[in-house]
Formats: sequence, structure tokens, C-alpha cells
Amino acid sequence: MDSEAARTARESLELAFHMSNMLDTGLDRQTLSVLIALCDLGLNPESLAAVVKELRSDPPSSSSASAFASSSSNVS
Amino acid sequence: MGDQEVLDLVKELVTRLLNSPPTTPTQNPNCNPSKPDPTQALRYAIRILSSRLTPSISPDEAAMAESIKRRLALQGKSSQALAFADLYAKFASKTGPGSINNKWAVLYLLKVVCEDRKGKDSGCRVGSISGGLPDLGAGRCEENEKEKRGVNHEKEWRSGVVLVSKDSAHRRDLAFREFRGLLKEESGVSEDVLVRNLLYACRGIDGSYMKFDAKVDGYVLPESVKVPRSTRVMVHKLGELGWLFRKVEGYVSGSTRFLGDEVGTVGQAFGAALHDELTEYHKLLAVLNEHAMNPIPFLTDGVSLGNYLSLRRLSVWLVEPLVKMKLMAVMVDSCKVLKGGAMAGAIHMHAQHGDPLVHEFMRRLLRRVCSPLFEMVRSWVLEGELEDRYAEFFIVGQPVNVESLWMEGYKLHTPMLPSFISKSLAQRILRTGKSINFLRVCCEDRGWADAATEATAAAGTTTERGGLGYGETDALELMVVEAAKRVDKHLMEVIYERYKFKEHCLAIKRYLLLGQGDFVQYLMDKVRPELSEPANTISTFKLAGLLETAVRSSNAQYDDRHILDRLRVKMMPHNKGDRGWDVFSLEYEAGVPLNTVFTESVMARYLRIFNFLWKLRRVEHALIGTWKTMKPNCITSHSFTKLQHAVKMRLLSTSRRCQVLWNKMNHFVSNLQYYIMFEVLEVSWSNFSTEMEAAKDLDDLLAAHEKYLHSIVEKSLLGERSKTLYGTLFVLFDLMLRFRSLADRLYERIHELQTRSMASSLPSQQKNAQAKRLTTKSLETGSLVADGKKALTKQTDEILSLMGPELDEIGRKYSILLNGFISELPMQQHIDLKFLLFRLDFTEFYSRSGANL
Repeated sequence: MDSEAARTARESLELAFHMSNMLDTGLDRQTLSVLIALCDLGLNPESLAAVVKELRSDPPSSSSASAFASSSSNVS
Repeated sequence: MGDQEVLDLVKELVTRLLNSPPTTPTQNPNCNPSKPDPTQALRYAIRILSSRLTPSISPDEAAMAESIKRRLALQGKSSQALAFADLYAKFASKTGPGSINNKWAVLYLLKVVCEDRKGKDSGCRVGSISGGLPDLGAGRCEENEKEKRGVNHEKEWRSGVVLVSKDSAHRRDLAFREFRGLLKEESGVSEDVLVRNLLYACRGIDGSYMKFDAKVDGYVLPESVKVPRSTRVMVHKLGELGWLFRKVEGYVSGSTRFLGDEVGTVGQAFGAALHDELTEYHKLLAVLNEHAMNPIPFLTDGVSLGNYLSLRRLSVWLVEPLVKMKLMAVMVDSCKVLKGGAMAGAIHMHAQHGDPLVHEFMRRLLRRVCSPLFEMVRSWVLEGELEDRYAEFFIVGQPVNVESLWMEGYKLHTPMLPSFISKSLAQRILRTGKSINFLRVCCEDRGWADAATEATAAAGTTTERGGLGYGETDALELMVVEAAKRVDKHLMEVIYERYKFKEHCLAIKRYLLLGQGDFVQYLMDKVRPELSEPANTISTFKLAGLLETAVRSSNAQYDDRHILDRLRVKMMPHNKGDRGWDVFSLEYEAGVPLNTVFTESVMARYLRIFNFLWKLRRVEHALIGTWKTMKPNCITSHSFTKLQHAVKMRLLSTSRRCQVLWNKMNHFVSNLQYYIMFEVLEVSWSNFSTEMEAAKDLDDLLAAHEKYLHSIVEKSLLGERSKTLYGTLFVLFDLMLRFRSLADRLYERIHELQTRSMASSLPSQQKNAQAKRLTTKSLETGSLVADGKKALTKQTDEILSLMGPELDEIGRKYSILLNGFISELPMQQHIDLKFLLFRLDFTEFYSRSGANL
């Protein structure tokens, strides 16, 4: 990565962090950077958000988690 | 997901998330403080991630940014919204290596996370992940869905909320269905019911929702019925058709109910034509009604959208009937108070329209409306029949007696004249029918029927009914022209040949206008002693006998008997003290068909002219008589030999003055007479003759005759404007008659003198013989026969003293009057009297002496 690209990346991250703060998402910089990287790679942002939601909340019981997982897996 | 990088990232994410401090204070005391198992979490995460591979909404970056902004604004953080916008702008502008390619995804992620957090805090509905469809009617949609899809992955409800949004692929369809459901709830009445109501309204019937409101005067949906505003407006627009229909229907049924009493044939035809149009309209409505009953399935997804006939389709169908109905309503309005030809004219004015649809419609209508009118015209022009019970035709007939049939019997009634028949054509029509009637009534002639058939054959139409119609005004005109030509020709033939119009005119001229000089002379001679008597002692019978004698002794005896039969003596109503001269006149009886030309008023004018001419003749006759006595003869010249010189001189001068005066008078009278005879009568007659030859019909003839009479009247100073001259002329005539009597007396006395002197001076036998002859004559003069010279002188003196001043007076008066007359002649601007002036004042004697006076 050249400095140009690095600078761009850094600035983009900064902007995204600002936006995220404005929206009060509660994501810190590192998490956000990971998420951005994952989005860039083509993952579904919805599922990522779901992950965030799930893992950030109170630890769900395994049953509900499994039920949820089964329900989500039925999507065509 | 086989990418190691991705896996690493995910691991890291999970770690971070799990290790991140809880951002919201959890109120749940049952919160499990123990850290969750990372591996389990990882597995779970991977599962989640693999479950949804494609996002459910389209990657639209700008829209996403917009929605975030809106969300911020809605939350009341407008400043933040602006800041966000700013940031986004900067964010979006970052392109090139090292920047984020999938910006949309990032935004979306942030948004969703934010929402999740918000949703978690509030603890209620979560189903706004996909953009917030309201969950109205969720139950119904639920059921629908369950029925249609049979999938029960919505079993999981969380606090009564349906996670409809989980079914990402059908979101749009669902949205439509919900919208429709919304609509159904909002509108109290479904569309097909409205359509059916409208169809009823178009027929003038109140439907269950649309009623005719008399206050508003239209078809309205009452306010209680809940329909969306657009539907309401459209329903109102189409309700206008119902209103128009009511109006037209009302007129049609009204006109047939009062069957013809007020309306008349044209009105009935109009009503019938409208009725036919309404039948067509009903047919269309019936077809539409049938369509309204049939539902046709909607093209997508097996969901029917109601019936085939929606409001919009209906409005498209009804455009043309609306136009026609408007036309009919307009015409109904304007024709309500009219009838007959006026109605046809008004409708014709409406038909002046450029649109071919309107034009065609009006043409059809007009053809029917005008058929009674055209029928009336046809029967009038070809048969002279006027069948007009409702006073609709533009020709009215009045019952009059036979002689004024032509002038007064039929008239044009302009209010009833339709605008597509021009005035000149109407005049022609009137004249043709009038001629036929005239022929039939006055001349008792039947030949015109052939003329009628010929006319129609020439014009190419039939004599049957209904041969002509509206729009064929040219054909009508042609037919009328042909008929007029033929009938007029026939009429002229009849007038000229059977009734010998020309001969009668000539006869009138010869007798009433004193054209036949020898006859007049004889008549005057014979009638003169009679007419000097007072008027009430004269017997007409005797005068008639004298007339007959005069006729026989002149060239008039060679005239046709039937003409001479019509010549009669007429005594005008006389007052006391009138002499025969004042009341005598001749009269010519014209007979039945000709007294349209020679009406009462016309004959009165002839009479006036006759009186004038007769007076003129009388004066002329008188003067000629005076001349006979005045001419120098041996008697008069001899009388002077015996007298003294002075007396003789005086006598001579008197008689000379007398002769001079006579000359003046004679000059005047004879010139006036010549003027009247040649300049007035003959000229007018020749003009009239030429015009009579050229006359095409009776109207022309009447006009020509009128002109003829008028010119005679004016030129012989009998007109209105020549009253003063006329008065002067009559005074002159009276003077002349006085003169005549005076001169007669003078010369009589002179003769007396002469005879006495002859008796005294003539010697021997001759004298005796003469005396014997003369004594018989002068027996009444008494015993003056043997008087001497002195007696003669005395008598002469007597005569002269009596007659002289009178003569002078007459002479003076005469000159003044004559000068006045001549000077006034040029003032008559309206007639050309220069010939009279020329004759009277050839040497300008009078004008110069007049100027000197």
C-alpha cells in the first residue's frame, strides 16, 4: 500500500467513524475497520449487522440461538 | 466463505465484539455476567453470515444516505443531519486505491446497527429493517399470505409483530397488496358499484349512491359516502352526462306530450330526431352495462382488479356521447321558445361548426327537422297550397277579397324565415305561390299544374313528398326558380292574351287620358250645354246617351265592343252650387283579374288626372269659342264706320286689347296642352310600353304601371310638391273662363251695335232683308233699332265703361299670375319642366318682364 492509498484509507475510516458516532452505533474504530473490510469483501451487511447485534447483546441462550439459526437458514 | 482472510477478519470481529464493553446499561438484572464462549459465538456468527448472502434491498448509495439523513432529521437532530450530509459527501468522494469500494454496504451497516440499537433500547418493533412498512391490516395480509403461500415461517412473533420483512423477495408485492388493502379501507364504496351507479345516472336514474340533487342541480355523491378525492372528481365529471341527459329527455318527452298543440310540426320533428339520438345513446349504455358486469382477470399474479369497466375506461367511452349530449342540450335550450322556421334557423346556426363529428350529427338532425318546412315550401311552390296549422311557415295568407289578392293576400313573415333560405329566394317562393293562387282564383285557369310538373322535371326532383331535404338548398332554389319561371310565363300569357291587358291600358289612355282627340272634341261639344247647369239637375242617363253619340261619331266607334262597354259616365258626389263641370267624369271598369292592376286607388288617380285634363280641355275649348266670335268679320268692321272717331277709337282699342289678351291666354293654354299631350302622356306611355314588354311577372308589371302613373301625375303638376303651381294654374283657368264670358259679352254688344247701325244705315232692300233677318235676332233688344248716332254713341259708352275696366282687370291679374307661374316653374326641382318653360317662354319675354317688375 502506498502512502496515498494508506492516507485515503485512513481518511475514509475517519469519516466512517464520525458517521458511525453520529448515528450512535457504539462501534469503536477497530471493530468498524474490521466490519468495513468485511463489507468490502462482499459480505452481506445485513448479516454483519445481525452478527453485531447478536454478539453484542446479552449472551443469548443456546436454544434460542439455535432456533434462530434454524429459522434464518430457511431463507431461500 | 472459503477465504482465509475473511475468516480471520470474522474471528477478529467476534473477539472484539465479545470483548467490547457493553454500550448500553442493561436494566436486566438477570444479565449473565459470564463471557460467552468465543468459539460458539464464532460458529454462530459464521452461520448468520452464511445464511444471508444477498442483501434484500438494492444497493443504492444515495438513497441510503438520504434515508439516514432523514432518520436523523426526524429524530430532531437536524444539525447532525447536515453534518452527516457533509461527511457523506466527503466519504463518497474518496475514490481510488485504498478507499472503500462498497460504500453503500458500509452505510447500510451503520444504519442497521444504529437501528438495532435503537430498537433494542425501545424494546418494540423491529420489523423496520427493510424500511418501515406500517403494519396496518397485518392480520388480513397475514391471512392472505398464509392462504396464498402456505409457508409458515412467520410463526415466530415477537411481541405481536410480524416479521414480514424477512421474506425479502416479495417485499414489493406485499407493499402493493397492503396499499390496496388500505384503499379498500378508505373507500367506502368499491369501484364497480360506482361504475354501475354512474351508468344509471347516465340514464337519469338515481343509483344507490349517486343521486340527483335538485339544489345543486346535478348528480352527486353525497358526502357521507367515503371515496377518495380523485374518484369523487371523476364521478362528478361523468355525472354531467346524466344532467344533460335529463334535460334533453325532459324536452323530448314534453314535446310529445303536448302533441303539437304548442309545438308545431317542426318542433315535433325535432323532438323525434332527438328521441332517435337518445335511443342510440341507450344502446351504447346497454353495451357498457353488460361490460360492467363481466370481470376480466388482471394480468399479473392472478389477482383481479375488479371488473373490466373501471372509472377511467368508462370516462373514455363516454367522451363521444358527452359531446353529442352537450350539443343536444344546447339546442334544446335555445329552441325551447321557438317554433317553425325560426327553430330551424336557430339549429342551423348551431350547425356552423368545424368538427366533423358535430357537423355530421347536426346534419342528420337538421335533415329531419327541416323536412316539414321543405314539404311546406314544395306544396306552396308547386300547388299554391298553404297548409300551416301552427303558423310555422314564413308565408302567411290572409282572407281578402278578390281584387287585393295579389297585393295583400300573402305576405312574408320574416321571424319564421330560417336562416338558410335567403331573402331573395323567399321572395321568389312567395311570388310563385301567389301567382298560382292568383291564377286559380282570379283567372280561373288550370294550366299551371303542367307548369309545376315541368318545373320539377327540369330541376331533377320529384313532385312527391319528401323529395327535398336540408342541405339541398341549391336544389330547392333551382326548383323554385324553374317553377317561378314557368308559372310567371303562364301568368303573363294569361294576362296578355286572355285578358288583353295591353288593350285595356291603351283604351284607358285614349279615353280617360283624353288621347282620342276627335272623340273628346265631340263629347265636349255635346256635353257643354248640359254641364253648365247646376249639378243636381243633370241626369246621368242623358249624359250616357251623349257619350254614346260621341263615340259613334268619332273614330272610337271602330274600337272593340267590350272595351267600349266598360266606358261609362260617372257623376261624382256633388255639393250645392256645383256646376256640371265639376262633377263630370268618365270611368273605365277593368274587371276581375285586371283590377289587381287597376285598383281603387289607381282608378282614383286616373280620375284626378282626367279631371285636370278635362278642365284644361274645357278652357281650351272656351278660348277657341271666343276666337270664333272675335274674329274680324264684316259685321264688326262695319259697325265702326258709323260711329264717331273717338268712340271708334275707344272701341277699337278695347277690342284690340281683348284680342291681345286672348292671344296670350291662348298661347299659354295651347302650349300647356301640347306639353301635357306630348311630353307627358306620350313619353310615359312609350316607357310603359317597353317595360310592359319586358315584364317577367305581375310584380314587375305592377311596378311599371305605378311608375307610369307616377310620372304622369308629377309631370302634370298634380303631385304633392307642385301644389302651389297647381293652385296658380287653376286660378288662371278661372280667369280665362271669366275672360271668355266677358269677351263673349263684349262682342255680343258690338254685334248688337252693328246690327242696329246696320239697320239704320243700310239702304233699300238689302237693308230691309237684312233688317228682317236681323230683327229676329235683335228682337229682344227692343226698340233701339231706329236709334240714331247719338244712341249708338251712348251705347258704346255704356259698353266700354262696363267692359273696359273689367277687361283691364282681367288682363292685369292674368299677367301677374302668369309671371308668377313661369317664375316658379324652375323651382320645381323634382321634375323636368324645362320643356314647358321652353314652350311658354321661348323668347324669354316673361322672364325679362318678370325681372323688370
